[in-house]
This record gives sequence, C-alpha cells and structure tokens, in this order.
Amino acid sequence: MEALSPTYSAPEPVATIRPAAPRAAAVPLAAQAVASVFLPLRFVLTGVASLFLGVLLLTLRPDLLATYHYNQYIIAVTHLFTLGFVTSVIMGAMYQLVPVALETKLYSPRLAKWQFVCHLVGVAGMVWMFWRWDLKQVGHFGSVFAVGVALFVFNIGRTLRRVPRWNPIATAIASALGWLALTVLVGLALAAAKCAYPDEPSSIAARAVAPALVALRALAGFVGRFDQMAAMHAHAHLGAVGFILLLLVGFSFKLVPMFTLSEVRSWQRVRWSLGLLNAGLALACFGILLRQPVKFAGALVVAGGLAVYLVEIVAILRARKRRVLDWGLRYFVTALTVLVATGLLGVALSWPRLRLTSFTGQMENLYGFAFLVGVVALAILGMLYKILPFLVWHARYSPLIGRQKVPSLADLYSPRLQIAGYWTFLAGFIATAVATLAASERALPWGCGLLLLSLAIFAVNAALILRHLAPPRTP
Amino acid sequence: MTTIQEDAIWNALRSVIDPEIACNIVDLGLIYSFAVTGEKVSVTMTLTTPGCPMHESIAQGVQWALLGIEGCEEAEVNVVWDPPWSPAMMTERGRAACQMR
Repeated sequence: MEALSPTYSAPEPVATIRPAAPRAAAVPLAAQAVASVFLPLRFVLTGVASLFLGVLLLTLRPDLLATYHYNQYIIAVTHLFTLGFVTSVIMGAMYQLVPVALETKLYSPRLAKWQFVCHLVGVAGMVWMFWRWDLKQVGHFGSVFAVGVALFVFNIGRTLRRVPRWNPIATAIASALGWLALTVLVGLALAAAKCAYPDEPSSIAARAVAPALVALRALAGFVGRFDQMAAMHAHAHLGAVGFILLLLVGFSFKLVPMFTLSEVRSWQRVRWSLGLLNAGLALACFGILLRQPVKFAGALVVAGGLAVYLVEIVAILRARKRRVLDWGLRYFVTALTVLVATGLLGVALSWPRLRLTSFTGQMENLYGFAFLVGVVALAILGMLYKILPFLVWHARYSPLIGRQKVPSLADLYSPRLQIAGYWTFLAGFIATAVATLAASERALPWGCGLLLLSLAIFAVNAALILRHLAPPRTP
Repeated sequence: MTTIQEDAIWNALRSVIDPEIACNIVDLGLIYSFAVTGEKVSVTMTLTTPGCPMHESIAQGVQWALLGIEGCEEAEVNVVWDPPWSPAMMTERGRAACQMR
C-alpha cells in the first residue's frame, strides 16, 4: 500500500491516452444527470431566439426607440426582451445553476418541463397580443405565463428548502422569486384594469376560474386607482431590479470567483449590497407608484447597493488567480461598466423636479435600452459562453471523460468569433444608444444592424457548440 | 496477479482534465493522495471550488481512468474539501498552462 503526500514532483506527460476498458457496473453513471441538461438548453435557446427577434424588430422599426415608450409596439418588444429573452435564459440557467450554487438538487425536473410549455405559450401569446393591443388576450396569455411562473417559484422555492447551509446567494434567489411573483401580479392587474368582463361568467370555463377573476378584478380595481403610467414604471422596475438585477448580482458572487479562481473577499459587503438593493427597490417603487419624491431616495439606495456590489466584484477580480480574463468574463465586466452609467442615469431620471420633455423621454428610452441590452444582454451573452458549452459538454462528453480524450469547454467554439462578437456588440450598443438619445430614425437601423450582426456571430458560435451534441460518425 | 504501478496511476489521472480550466487534474494539483490495496485503487482528491458543476463528471472520469489501468479491478474516489484547493498546489506546468499569477 502506498500513500503520497500532497506535494510531489509531477511525472512526465503522457504521450497518448489509453482508452479505458469499460468494466464496470461499479461506475455510477452521470448519464442520469445528463438528460437534465436539455431542459435548461430549451430555455436558453428560446431566449437567444427572442433576443434575435427583438433586435430585428428594432432594426426594422427604428421609430420604436425614437419616440416615447408608451405605445403597443415598444411594450410588445420590451416584453419580448424581458420575458422572451432575459427571463427564459435566467429560468433555464437557474434550473442548472441553483443546484450548483447551493449544492443541492432541483426539487422537480418534471414541473420544470411543464413550466417550459406554459412559459413558451404565455410569452409568445403576450408579445403577439401586445403588438395587436388586445389587452384581454394579453391577460389570458399572461395568466398562462403566470401559471408557469408559479410552477417555477414553487420548484425553486422547494429546492431552496433543501439547501444545507443558507447563505447570501440563497437570500438573493429567494428575494428575486418574491419580486418576480409581485411583478407578474402587478402586470396581470394592469392588463385586467384595462379589460371588462360580464358580471356573471357565462361559459363553464369562465365559471371555473370565476374566483380567480374576482380576485384579479379586485386587484385591478386597486391598481386602477394609481396613475397607469406610474404603475407601469413600478411594474417594470419590480421586474428589472427585483428579479433580473438581483439575480445577476447574487449569482455573480458565485460565478465570478468560480471562473477566475478567486473568492468572495467580504461577505459583509455581499449582505449589504443585497440588503440595499432590496430596500431601495421597495422605496423606489413606492415612490414611483405614488409619484412621490421618495423615489429619488429609493434610487440612491439602489445605487448605493450597486456601488457596494461593484466594490466587491473589483476586490474579487483583484484577488483572482487566473491572470488573464477570458472573453466571456470580459463581456460580463463590460456589462458592469455599462451598469454604472445606467445606474447614474436612473438616479438622474428619478430627480423629483425633472420635467418630461421630448429629450427626457428619449433619456428614459435610453435608460431602458441600456439596461436591457448594454447590461443584461451583454452580461448574459458573456455567461452563455460559459453556460452553453458547459451544458453541451456535460451532455456529450461527461460520460466519456477518463475513458478517452475529451475537449475543454473553450475548444467547443471559436475564440475569434467570440472576440469579433464582443466588439461588434459594443459598437452596435454605443451607436444605438447615441441614436436613441438623438431620436434619429436614420441612425438607429445602423446601430441595431451592428447588434444584429453581433448576434449572428454569436449564433454561429452557438451552432459550433451545439454540433457537438450530434453523435460521432462511425467509419 | 498484476501489481499496479505508481506511474500507471499518475498517467491515468493525467488523462482526466478539468474542462473549464483546460488543464489535467494532476498538474492542477487536485490529487491529494492515492492508495493501492491489491486490485483496488483509492484516490483522495479535491476540486477547485465546492459546488463545482463538474464535480460528478470529474469524479466519474477519475474512476473510469483508474479502471482502465491494467490490474485495477476496483476504483474509489473520495472528494474532500479539507484542505481546500489553492493554486499553490499546482505544478509549474499547470500554472503556465492556466496563466496563473
């Protein structure tokens, strides 16, 4: 018997790797887990397709970003971005990442499959009906989406209950689930407030959901007391900050150290950033909804939370062991830089005495565009260069590792295309941002066209990754 | 009965990579020790971070690699977190491959 100490001189490298003879029933197959990667993959691909379609619509309809954002088309496109792209990718990634980040297992993969069906039908129907401005149908498809969200919240919530050691990342996920549920509820109420139903349900189906309709009508009556534009802005911030930003922040405390071989430097800062974001959002939404100056204070608290978050991320990056940041992380870090500018713009726009002019209207457009495209889309594209290769690698090569030579994650795609996609995206984002501020319908298609080109480059790389799923050809 | 050689074990372990870092687990310093008892090899190793998404894949890969060694009929992999992994455990070759500080 021989035991070696942890420090040793490594032997010379092996010239060839000998394929191992499978002897073994003794080996527990990870193949059982492999099937599960197709679930997040479905969500992720739906998200990428939605992003492409969203940018295509902005390219074809430059008036959408060049005019004030309260019209049916921009609301449809916004929901295509937020629900079709961002929420799809986040949900798919969460089914994969929550168990990883919290070292537990997903409560029910089967529920997640049903949620995907509700999500797809709900989002597609909502976007289509927003475009046609049929709010009653928006409410119906929104209800289907809401059922999916309920399944998602239940599934992730039960998964959180299995967490062996509660930590700030679990807190971020739990609070994001709460904000998501509130966002959907307010959204449904906003749609219901614009619809009329007969007092007595006529059909059997309507009678079956009558209690839900009564509750929704009561909620709609409550929401209807507020300024509708203010309620819509509150709804948008609940989703954008409460769900999207909080998860981006929470997961980055796990993923950035993992990918850079670093560690969280101060859990105190992590707790403060999450606490300030939650408190600031509650305060800001209260102020937005009631059109009270307190929204400025709320915005400042959110900005404070972001500042603490960024200080911690910088500290994590400074302590990293991997000298060179890979391009996936460069996408992410650039997105955080845009987040600083977007946060400052948000604080400026929350100034109580700011008058609504055509220019401030364009600044609001820029604020939404910068957050969704410059921050979220860029950060997600960067992380997709981690998530997508991992999902495909796990499905294709996990059962082969140790038995034959397998590629690394970075071998699955072209780094040159990844770099080209980064610069094209950045150029497209800056051009579109400037054109939006200037309300230039002539310049907007150029900026959006560059974004579209960047997404096409990403699509080529995604195809290179996905082709690894095809079974190898036998001679 | 064939005696399992130490070099064969190192070579087999070196065939397993961490696909995120693109480095084999020996040069990455993930192997803490191993022991041979007759036809059984037991490896004690770690991963770069707890909750590593590659946990199952790498552990299973190590098992497959060990079972590929002539004379090895049983392989056991114990993943431990104490002591935690640090880049100081990497070999020079591993540090160079991973562009470590």
